[in-house]
Amino acid sequence: MFVILVYDFGEKRVGKALKIARKYLHWVQNSVLEGEISNANYTKLKMELRSIMNSEEDSVIFYTFRTKNYSKREEFGLKKGGDENIL
Amino acid sequence: MKKTLYIFQNGQLKRKDNSLYFETEERRKYIPIEDTSDIYIFGEVDVSKKFLEFVSQKEICIHYFNHYGYYVGTFYPREHLNAGYVVLKQAEHYLEKEKRLTLAKTFVKGSIGQMIQVLKYYRNRRDEGKDFFINIIEEIQNEAIHIENTNSIEELMAVEGHAREKYYSSFDYIIADPDFPFEKRSQRPPLNRLNAIISFGNTIVYTTVLSEIYKTYLDPRIGYLHATNFRRFSLNLDVAEIFKPIMIDRLIFTLINKKMITKKTLINIWMGFFFLKKEGKNLLLNWTNE
Repeated sequence: MFVILVYDFGEKRVGKALKIARKYLHWVQNSVLEGEISNANYTKLKMELRSIMNSEEDSVIFYTFRTKNYSKREEFGLKKGGDENIL
Repeated sequence: MKKTLYIFQNGQLKRKDNSLYFETEERRKYIPIEDTSDIYIFGEVDVSKKFLEFVSQKEICIHYFNHYGYYVGTFYPREHLNAGYVVLKQAEHYLEKEKRLTLAKTFVKGSIGQMIQVLKYYRNRRDEGKDFFINIIEEIQNEAIHIENTNSIEELMAVEGHAREKYYSSFDYIIADPDFPFEKRSQRPPLNRLNAIISFGNTIVYTTVLSEIYKTYLDPRIGYLHATNFRRFSLNLDVAEIFKPIMIDRLIFTLINKKMITKKTLINIWMGFFFLKKEGKNLLLNWTNE
């Protein structure tokens, strides 16, 4: 499954959220990560984020796709991050 | 599917925030640990014990290659799947001649089957020279019939060798580029461009299979077609035989025929021996992942 994660956390927790998300997904821009993820890891990631978030103030959005086949990704300007597996 | 990470740059690989972190002079990058199945290192990469502990815990193999793209070795984490029973059975199948031969025959059959698949593909696609492919396929099939009658590994190897020779003789027909003549198979070192690409490709298959074996209970030290000895892993060589033609040979034909690999851009020569340049390795790896 391919997911796009967008989050908006309070200053105190934003760093923690980033660290958690980086274990599973590729960082794309500030507060945006994306990548291929298994069902199990998706559940784990959600659980970990829930455990640190303050549901009154913080927000998380996941966009999930079964495949990338019917979607298109356009990018311009400076490439900040993203999926790369040949360095 | 977890991804393979290839590193050509020089830098440091670290454990940071319970994930992977690669740092060079120019850049820093985080790599999701949960999305990484194994790491191939071609550049000068420093790692610490802390890092090795971490990848070991996450069951990630690290494969090292030298400057010329030759396989150096693997950081093979502690066996996480440990069944003495399987090791015993695996050894038993090596020691009992009949059982070993049966397995070895299966590998050879698989390998020859895949070679025929490749040839059939080009037979169907080429307008001219169909007869050539039809002939070669027939010859290889005739050779394959002898597999059943072999009584020793040596005989089996001979049959496989003959089939492979015929298979290789078709390379010059498939590749329509005068810059990449096949001539003959040469390894250690490769003596022409095509051989350099084949060698590098095969290395990748060997290590990929090794990574897969790590995920099973099998012991990569005990191979069946390739003799088990004191030197190296051999089970991965057996299994790789089946995947080499379809994974690597097909890819190489496509890349060369579409002029994506060319004589100048991608091959290095050192004292008369041929090696893939960094870009060449990059390109090949990129496509093996497709």
